[in-house]
Parts: sequence; structure tokens; C-alpha cells
Amino acid sequence: MHRLHVKIFLWFWLGVLVVSGTLWSLSELTYTRAEDDRRWQQKYTPRVDLWARQETQILRRDGPAALERYIGSFQSDPGVSNFIFDADGREVLDRAVPDPVRRLLASMPDWPAGSPRVDAAERIIAERVVDRRGSSYDVVLDFPSPSVLNRSLFEFLSPDSYGEFPDRGSIVRVTAVLGVAGVFCFVLARHIARPIDRLRLAARNIANQQLHTRVDASVLQRKDELADLGRDFDRMAERIEHLVTAQRHLLADVSHALRSPLARLNVALGLARQRSGHATSEHLDRIETEAERLNKLIGQLLTMARMDSGVDLERSTRFDLGSIVEEVSTDADYEARQRECAVAFRQTGECVVEGAREMLRGALESVVRNAVRHAAKRTRIDVSLECRHGAGGARAVVEVRDHGPGVPEEAVAGLFVPFSRVLGDGVQSPERTGLGLAITRRTFEVHGGSATAANAPGGGFVVTLELPLPAERSARRAGRSPSLAAAAHATSGRSAAYGRRQAAP
Amino acid sequence: MPLPAAGSADRHVLVVDDDTELCQLLSEYLGTEGYTVEAVHTGSRGVERALEGDHAIVVLDVMLPDLKGFEVLRRVRAHSRRPILMLTARGDEQDRILGLEMGADDYLPKPFNPRELSARIDAVLRRSRPDGAADRRHGDRLVVGDVSVDKGARVARCGDAVIDLTTVEFDLLDLLLRSAGRVIPRDELVQTVLRREFSPFDRSIDTHVSNLRRKLGPASDGGERIKGVRGIGYQYALDERARPR
Repeated sequence: MHRLHVKIFLWFWLGVLVVSGTLWSLSELTYTRAEDDRRWQQKYTPRVDLWARQETQILRRDGPAALERYIGSFQSDPGVSNFIFDADGREVLDRAVPDPVRRLLASMPDWPAGSPRVDAAERIIAERVVDRRGSSYDVVLDFPSPSVLNRSLFEFLSPDSYGEFPDRGSIVRVTAVLGVAGVFCFVLARHIARPIDRLRLAARNIANQQLHTRVDASVLQRKDELADLGRDFDRMAERIEHLVTAQRHLLADVSHALRSPLARLNVALGLARQRSGHATSEHLDRIETEAERLNKLIGQLLTMARMDSGVDLERSTRFDLGSIVEEVSTDADYEARQRECAVAFRQTGECVVEGAREMLRGALESVVRNAVRHAAKRTRIDVSLECRHGAGGARAVVEVRDHGPGVPEEAVAGLFVPFSRVLGDGVQSPERTGLGLAITRRTFEVHGGSATAANAPGGGFVVTLELPLPAERSARRAGRSPSLAAAAHATSGRSAAYGRRQAAP
Repeated sequence: MPLPAAGSADRHVLVVDDDTELCQLLSEYLGTEGYTVEAVHTGSRGVERALEGDHAIVVLDVMLPDLKGFEVLRRVRAHSRRPILMLTARGDEQDRILGLEMGADDYLPKPFNPRELSARIDAVLRRSRPDGAADRRHGDRLVVGDVSVDKGARVARCGDAVIDLTTVEFDLLDLLLRSAGRVIPRDELVQTVLRREFSPFDRSIDTHVSNLRRKLGPASDGGERIKGVRGIGYQYALDERARPR
């Protein structure tokens, strides 16, 4: 249950309590004891005669045992005591007789038969019956005194007020009122809080890049402002999805469009070289370097675009992460030797992960080669892989550490942003496009992992890459983890991504 | 469409790419390198020409207006073992793996450096050409366990079944069997089989090995025939009964 729900529920309930309390107080203010006594007397006095006759008849005809059964059977109203006294003032059924009853009897020694004697304050009615044989009986009905709850508010508050503690009936009544009000308020609160909850969920999904999320149909079916809000939200989501998709497609389309002229440029460059008789030309070399840089950039832009559409996850497999980390390290070691560096790989435990193998390899490669490029000469690049078991489940953690100059602290966060440039770092190599680490982070995020970087305490730079291990992944997949769900959705095709209305999970 | 001069069939290249200007430039470039180029611009035409022509090699772009390059590859491979070099999309790791798995001999991400293309074509052609008189004679058979290769006829058998291998896979198997039991480093495999300089981060040889594994199936004892030795290379697993004869 959510906070808003609880809040609305409690406020409504409190409201019901206050209103009913006020109504009760108002009615009680107009109450007087005398009026109550009068009403009671009017109600019961006419009936006593009949009861008294019946009971004495049963007593005479069938004996005390039958009378006791009879009284027991009709005494449904709790608290009402029924006594019968014979002419000697003895209680026929030998029951204990309360004092007020005795006092009343004592006050009517020569009372005529057939007319009830009433003590309204104590709520006692007595009637003398004389049967045909001339025996005289006194039948007494002793009603309970009005309880506290049947008292006026002032009486209720005054400590010496007469009466007893609330009887069971009143408690049941009060509880029932509270209960019914509670259920009603609960349902009402839910009715208001639920669609807000749904809207919140949808907004959160959009924030988590599940742009196809739309508000749940149950919200839109309502006929109130919340439904309007839902519809407006959907329009907004549609617009955002459209913009983001368009932007992604633009990136992909531009890259594709650049691919052909660039291919021609490369061949034309080759021809120019042939014509110049393979003479070393500084300018042709330069053009070739730039063309190579463009080639690489286009490749990375396409990778980026592809990743956003999540296509590669279709070919997701389970594999040993250690094998590709080691392969990449070995290859990087080969490259590092030219700089008199070495790449050392260390693995603790087997890490089987699930994902697009080649994509992950590319991401790892870019990090390790980056480290090799920035390592100081004659240093070692440490690549380690271990499985960590934390609160979020088991994760494979790859750490790539170089012993280079590191990165200015304020630039670290920007490293993963596309086309970021480290200030003061004049390195301009064809290898460097400003997209490598951005692609790496995106790759790991698409796989439910993360990529972070920091300057190492002892100098140098550490990039940490994390991937969830499949046990956790498969569990989360049941609940559709955001990135995978988004990716899976994206694979269902470009056109389908437009204007698709899908219920929030 | 100029017919190739007689005798130049082994330098005749079929380029399947919808970019006509690129094809023109390539014809010119490869012409200087001693190749003749025939260019077609649609996939269906590409399949036709690849199957009926006498080209030494097909250079196939993955992105074609009618058929996908992979479909062209599949249709050609169904009938012919003609060497095929795929031009894959940059930024798509899966494309090149898929191409190699479907039987392409090599790949090059496009845009490419034409020198690289020419070198790749050279390498593919050199290895698809029979190596010389000594290899040409029949009976140059190498048998390891239940696998045999006949270098002259370029036929590989596993048990009694002929295995359909691409040129690269055949050469790879030949080299692995020749050195059965020994670990062959990856750079040696790349240089000998792909006939190009070993470059780190190029995993094509691994894809070829895994294709070969798949085609050979498991060894008679259920184990892996070709074992990967992490960080070094590959080894054709040998049990005592299966020394090369």
C-alpha cells in the first residue's frame, strides 16, 4: 500500500469519524433524562399486564420449572430481569433480587391488582396479578438503566453521572459504523490513489528509456480529470518517443549515407596513390589517415545507432566472460609490446554471462586498448576479472588499470559522453574518435551492467565494467528488466515502435 | 559486359555492389593491380553471374537493393565453392561473423582501404589456387583418426562422409591435421591459412575454426576435435590410436 493511498484513506476515515461524532453530539445535546424516562414508560407500561397474566398462568398450571423455561425462552433482550413474587413476598424461582426491586415492592403493600407500579428512574415496572383462586403475585420487570452512550454529552463527561459502562450492543454498533466507514474510505482512497500510482509508474518507465510505455488502460477508461491527465501524458510520451526515435534514425541514416561516398573517397585515394607511383606523399598520407579516422567514426556511429535499436541482443548467448577478456588482453598485450608495455590478465572464479558476445568483446577491446594507449612506457596494464556477490546479486567485474598520467578529476565523468575531449590532452590519433567509451558504457548498460571510471589511488586510471551474472538476470527477466525489455521491444521493428500503445508492465 | 580474355580467369573479379560509381573506381583500381572486374548492381544478377561466370572471386556487398548480401551468399554457396569476399557494414560485428559462418572466405568492413581489398583478394586467390605440382597429384592424403584430407582433389572426409568445406576451412583443417597434437599459435594460423599479416583483435580465424568444428562434429570419444588453447592458439586433439599416417 502506498503513502498517498494511506493518507487519503486516513483523512477520509477521520472525516467520517468527525462528522458522525458531531451528529451524535448534536442529537445528544437535545436529550433530557426526563424525556427518555417518559418514552420508556409509554412504551412498556401497556404491555406489562399481558406478560404478568401469562406468567402467573404458566406458574399455576405448569409449576415453577416451566415458568423458568418460559422466562428463559422469551428473555431475548439482554439485561432485562423478570421476577415473580408470591403473596408472601418470596421470589418464586428463588433468584437474587436487586435492591431497587425490593424497594419498589416494599412501597406497594396494598397496591391494587391490574395497575402497574413504575419507577421510571430505575426502569422498573411491577404489576400485581390476582388469579381466579385468589392468589396474588407481583410480576416485576427490571430494565437496565440507560448506558453511558445513551446519555447526553454533558452527562457522559460528568464523572458522577449515573449509569453503567457501555454495554456490548453499543460497542458492536460503534465498531460496525467505523468498519463500514473504513471499508468505504479505503475503496475511495484506492479509487483516487491507484491511477496516480499508474501514472507514476508510466512516468518512471519513460525515464528509464522505455519510451513505448503508455498509461494503463484502466486510467484512461475513467471519466474524470485523471483520465484527461493520462491522455495528456500519453500524448507527451508519444511525442518524446517520436523525437528520440527520429534522432536515432537520423544518426543511423546519416552514417549510412556517409558510408558510400567515403568508400568511393577511399578508392579514389588509392587510385591517386597508384598514379603517383606509390611515391611517398605526405599529403596523401594525411588524407589517408583522415579517411581512416572517418571510417572508424562511421563504424562507431553505426555501432551506437545499432545499440540503441538493441538488435544485437537477439543473438544473445551464454558464454565465459573470462575467455573474451583473456583474448582481448592477449591481443592488447601484442599491441602493447610496441610501447614496451605489457598487459597482465588475472581471473578469480568463472564468470558465465549472457549477452551479445561480439558486442561485449568490442566494448572490452576499446577499454583495454585505450588503457594501452595511455599507459606510460614500460609499465603494466592490469586487467582483472572477478565475480562479486553483492546485494544486487552476483556480478562479473572487469577492472582495467593503467599506470599512465590519469585523467583530470573534473573530466572523468565526461569520458563516457560521446565526443568528449579531455582538455589539455593533445592526443589526436586516428584511433581516437570520442565514441569508444560511450559505446562501451552503452553496451554494458544494454546488458544490465555498468561502466565507471576513476583515477587510481596510486596513480593511473581504472575503468570498472560490471555485468550481472545470468542467475540474477533470468530472475529479473521474468519481471522484464528495463533495458532488456526496451531492447526486445526495439527489435520488433522500427515501424512498430511508432505510435504503439502498450500497457505498462 | 566485357568478356575476360582467355587465361585471365584467375584474375577475374566479380563485384556485386549497387554503388555504380564505386564499382567504376574499383575496376580502375583493381585493373592497375592486374585484375579484370565485372560489376553487377543487384543481388539477383549477382547470384546469376557468380554461378555461371568463371570469376576467380566474388566481392559481395552486404547491402544490396533487392536481395540481402547474405541471401546472395547463401544461394551461391548452395551450388558453388567460388571464393567470396564480403564487404560488411562497419559497426556491425554480427555481420562479419554471420558472413564467415555462412561460408564467406573473408570479409572487409566498408568503407575500406583499396590496398587492403586488393591484398585480401590476393590472399584468397593464392590459397584457393592449387599450390603446385607436388600437391596436385592424387593420393596426397593425410589421415588422422577418422578424418582425412586429399590435398590434390581438395576433398575432406570424416568417416565416409565428404565434408563440404570452404577453401579457408580446408586449408585450416589441412594445417591442423599436419600438426595434429601440436598447438598452433593464432598468428601462424592467420599467416598460413588466411595468408595475411596477423593483426591482434582480428578474430576471423576463430570464426573459421568454430565453423570447422561444427562441420566436423565431435570426436568419436565425444570430445572436441579442435581444442582452443587460451591466449595461444588451437590444437587438433590427438589420442594415441590416431597418430597421422
